Formats: sequence, structure tokens, C-alpha cells
Amino acid sequence: MLKYVFRRILQMIPVFLGVTLILFALRIPGLLPGDPVQLIVGERELTPALRAQIEEEHHLNESVPVQYGYYISGILQGDLGRSLQKNRTVTDILLDKFPNTARLAVSAILVEIIIGLMAGIISAVKQYSFWDVVVTLSTSILVSVPVFWLGMLLQMFFGIKIKQWTGGAFSLPMSGMGSPPDLVHLILPSITLASVSTAYVARIMRSQMLEAMGQDYIRTAMAKGLSQRVVVFKHALKNALIPVVTFIGIDLGALMGGAILTESVFSWPGVGREIYLAVMQRDWPVVMGGVVVVVLIVMFVNLLVDISYAVLDPRIRYGGTAE
Amino acid sequence: MGSLLEVTDLKTHFHTRDGVVKAVDGVSFSLAEGQTLAIVGESGSGKSVTALSLMRLIADPPGKIAAGRIMFRDENVLEMSDEQIRSLRGDRIAMIFQDPMTSLNPVFRVGHQIAEALRLHKGMNRKAANARAVEMLELVGIPNAPSRARDYPHQFSGGMRQRGMIAMALACDPDILIADEPTTALDVTIQAQILELMIEMQQRTGAAIIMITHDLGVVADMANDVMVMYAGRQVEYGTTDDVFYRPLHPYTWGLLDSLPRHDISEKGDLCPINGQPPSLIDIPPGCAFHPRCPYAQDVCRTDVPELREIESGHSSACHFSGQPDFTRDVMPCSADMEVE
Repeated sequence: MLKYVFRRILQMIPVFLGVTLILFALRIPGLLPGDPVQLIVGERELTPALRAQIEEEHHLNESVPVQYGYYISGILQGDLGRSLQKNRTVTDILLDKFPNTARLAVSAILVEIIIGLMAGIISAVKQYSFWDVVVTLSTSILVSVPVFWLGMLLQMFFGIKIKQWTGGAFSLPMSGMGSPPDLVHLILPSITLASVSTAYVARIMRSQMLEAMGQDYIRTAMAKGLSQRVVVFKHALKNALIPVVTFIGIDLGALMGGAILTESVFSWPGVGREIYLAVMQRDWPVVMGGVVVVVLIVMFVNLLVDISYAVLDPRIRYGGTAE
Repeated sequence: MGSLLEVTDLKTHFHTRDGVVKAVDGVSFSLAEGQTLAIVGESGSGKSVTALSLMRLIADPPGKIAAGRIMFRDENVLEMSDEQIRSLRGDRIAMIFQDPMTSLNPVFRVGHQIAEALRLHKGMNRKAANARAVEMLELVGIPNAPSRARDYPHQFSGGMRQRGMIAMALACDPDILIADEPTTALDVTIQAQILELMIEMQQRTGAAIIMITHDLGVVADMANDVMVMYAGRQVEYGTTDDVFYRPLHPYTWGLLDSLPRHDISEKGDLCPINGQPPSLIDIPPGCAFHPRCPYAQDVCRTDVPELREIESGHSSACHFSGQPDFTRDVMPCSADMEVE
């Protein structure tokens, strides 16, 4: 097992280098519009001397491969560079925003687990019933609704319409996160962020549950005299959960990396929105730093998911002797 | 010995989109304590459904036990509440299945799966149940049982898994063990071991066995009584000696003729039964076997033959059984016959 984990971590290195290489290739002069020096200078007058100084500071006078070398050695020392727009280091900015993203991601995952799993189990156990139809229908609608549009609808309904109808007595906050952060502000963004994944979780859970309940070992469990409840929630569920946990884990990785659309719609001060703003302002150190961090998080969470397989499914044992 | 299980006119039907599948259509038999009954027939003849019906394990819908009576001791299984039938399953009537590779839950330890029934029916605590599970594994010949009990099913070979299934089924010391083709999925050498084990366990526990099989060799070795099924109906029923040495029904003759035997070599060739078993949705009118039967007369195409007792304790569902000149010796090899 340890050997497997070690090998997986080694495998991350080429993936990581590949991602940074692709990102860095965007800096080949002429590939993207805009002049980084001009961005840094802003409204000030740009004299050749100032340009030379800035180029010297940011290693812009070197060739792209050399710049890449500087960048990688910086990352290894925990230095992701400085923002071109704000007078702060990228590490600083991301550390500042990450807790907000994590807060949103965790609450979205909770929605996904609680509602998704329950809906999936109910619709499998009561196959072809009214509730099964409700679940299958609403999940097919949810997976096809664009996230930003759903977010806007929720904002309009819970933030504006309900407020009007109740004369201002009831409404849900539709943007930002308040200070200090509270749970009410999380409701609409986390529902929006969780919507598509919740629908997927419900569908995967349903099909996995149905498949598990058709297996021979379920008949064995029934023949043992176990009650329907024990058969479903113990024997079928543990088998059905394996692929669902995978999906949720991978999704957690993606959410931790920041949800660009949801965070932007709800002005949620997270990593995703920061990356979005940085893209708009061509603040490439922030974009790159953000993406690099996201890649690291996703790789790390995926590793955790792979390890959790072995815990859930005894047939999978990494690094040991295969059957 | 009194009758432990008495099944009368059992009918199990499945309601499908294409029509009603009469998987079991009027089957009656009885089983005495400690005895072995074999249910024999081709695939799709209703053997397994009969067995599952006994424990009310037919999925409803689409299945339904449409009629009949299953008396276990003095109670009708079909009239029991869900709770009553659950307390019977795994405790008084246990079952082992055809494919040991898929019949154990892959994510639970073998010992745990055996202990589960003990904790449920015998009220044992975890420790006592686990100890008893290890004991059962030892009993069925799993070496190094204490550590094997902590293994997962995939760490067991096919034969060992079937031993594990037998241990699980016998853990609560049931009155009846239903074995649904327990050796079909195993290697020939392992088959013999498993059968030997079942016979040994039967002697040890005194459980009655209902053996479902299409292997007539198994029947001859183990069974006291034999029931031959065809298309969901019983065609012949009697003691093993009766059915093997004085078979009455042309279908049984066909089955016996398609069996390779080392002591008879006059013909040299096997004589299989021609044609295919009928679809259970569209069972031929009259005797279901008539399209494949070399003796079929007009009456076979119109009238369903009742199961009649021809000699004491030996019945057959053929219009001609019992007629003095209707014997197996005159049977032509039906493989040479044109199928209607």
C-alpha cells in the first residue's frame, strides 16, 4: 500500500510539469495579446529605462525556457510569483481566498451526499413508484440546466420575488458571504454548485443499487432470513456505494479547486472567482498560480479517492500480490 | 417418520410483458425428516423456481405463487406473515445456490457472513457467533479456519466458497437444506468432494435435503426419492430405485438414455432427446412433452395427463404409463425421429 502511494506521488510529477508547461507556453510572445510590462506600469509613463527595470525584475528579458526554470524553482520554494495588478504575492491572494472556496465546496458536497444518496436509494428501492419518477425526471432536468442560469433563477426567486411577496419578511442572501461568514449565505451558492453533481449522484446511486439488488448474494442474504431493510442497507448499499464514493471524491477535488461559474454569479470571494477576475485582467501570475494550485488539489484528492477504494472494496489491494 | 414438508399443487407464475410464464404448474411432493429428495429436469423445467417458492423467495412482482399449499411441519408457509417466514429462512430451511462465485457478498468477510445468520436466529453475540462460524468452517473442511474466517470471498477458491456456503446454510442446524445445483459451477473433482461433504453433513446434522440437479449421477448417489419435472410440471415421482430401474415416463426414459454409462455399451452412442424444451409462456396443449415424444398419440395432443400413481409410491404423468406393453425397451431412439 505504501509502495503504491509512493508510486502515485511520483506519477504526479510528470503530470504537474506537463500542466505548468502548457500554461507557460501561453507566455510565448505574440501568442496572447497584451503587454505584461504595460499592465504592471498601468497609468504611469513607461520609459525605456522603467521597461528595462521591470523586465529585469520579472525575468521578462530572458527566453521562455529560462523563465520557466525560474518559475518552477519559485514554486518549489513556495513562491508563485507576484500579481501584476495587486501589490501582493499570488500565494498570499490564494491563501486568502481558499478558505472560502473550501467552505462552499464542503457544503455543496454535503448537499450532494445527503440529497443525492437519499434520492438514489429511494428511487431504487421503490423502483417505478411515484418517487422514482420524480427523482429520475428531476435529475434529468438538473443535469441539463446550466449552472449559472440556475444560480440566477434561484437569486431571482429567493432573493427578489419572495422578498417582494412577503413584504421583505423573508428572503435568502443572493450574493457575497457576509462578515463574519454565516450559514445563510451558503444556502443558494451551495445548492447551485451541488445541483448537477447531486443529480449525477442520485442517478449513479439508483443504477448501482438496482444492480446490486439483482445480484446472487442478495438472494443469499434473503435466504438467510435477514429483513428487507438489512439486505438493502447493509448488503446492497455497501456494494453500490463504491462507484458513488469515487464520483463524490473526484467531484470534491473539482469543487475544492474553485467553482468559477457559481462563485462569479454569487460574487463568492473564492479561488474560482479570483481566477476568473485574473483572466479578465490578464493577471497571468494569478491565473497560473491558481491553476497550479487547483491541479495540485485535484491530484491529491484523487489519490485519496484511490486509497479509499481499497478500504471500501476488499478485492482491491494496491501493491500487494494480485489474485 | 412423519412428513416434514408437504407440498400440494404448487403453482408459481411470472407475469411478464409477453404473457404469463407458468414456471411451476401444479407440483406436489413430500419430504420426510432426514431424507433426500432430488428434483431433476432440463434447464427451465421449473426446478429452481420450485425451490425458491418453498422459501417464498420469488420476487413479487413479477412472480407470484398462484396456488398450492406448502406445509412445513404443521404450518402453511404460504400463509405465514413476512416475519414468520423470515424466522424460518436460514434457520429451519436453508439454501445453497448454484454459483458460489457470486453467491457470497464480496465486501463482507466469510466468517461474518456465516455469523450473521447465527446472530439473527440464535441471538448469539458477535464473539459467540464468530466462534461458531469458525467451527462451521472447520466442519466443512476449510483448513486453517480461524484465519480463513477473516478472509473475503475473493480469497477463496470456487470449491472453498461452496464449502463456505454449506457452512453458512448449516450454521443454524436447519431441518431442510435446499441445494440448487450446488456442483454445477465446480470442477469435476471438486464436485465429488462437495457431494461427499453434503452426505457427511447430512449424516451429522440429520437435515433433510432437497437436491436440485440435472446430473442423474448425483441423484443415484444421494437421493431417496426423485421427482422429474418437465415444463413446470411433474412427470414422474417415486423412489430412486423405482425411477432408475422401473422408469414409467417416456421423458424419464429419454433422460436416462442420454446419460453416458460405463456398464451398457450395446449401442455405443448416446441417445439424446430430440428438440428443445417448450417455452413456458406457450406450453403445448395436452402433454407438454408430446412434440418430442416418440410415442405421442392423438390423446397426448389434446388431454393433459394427470399424475397417476401407477405402483405404490410411484407415479407418472403419461396417458400410457401402466399399460403392460408400454415399456422402455420398445423405445426407439428419438434422436432419429422427426420432431413435429
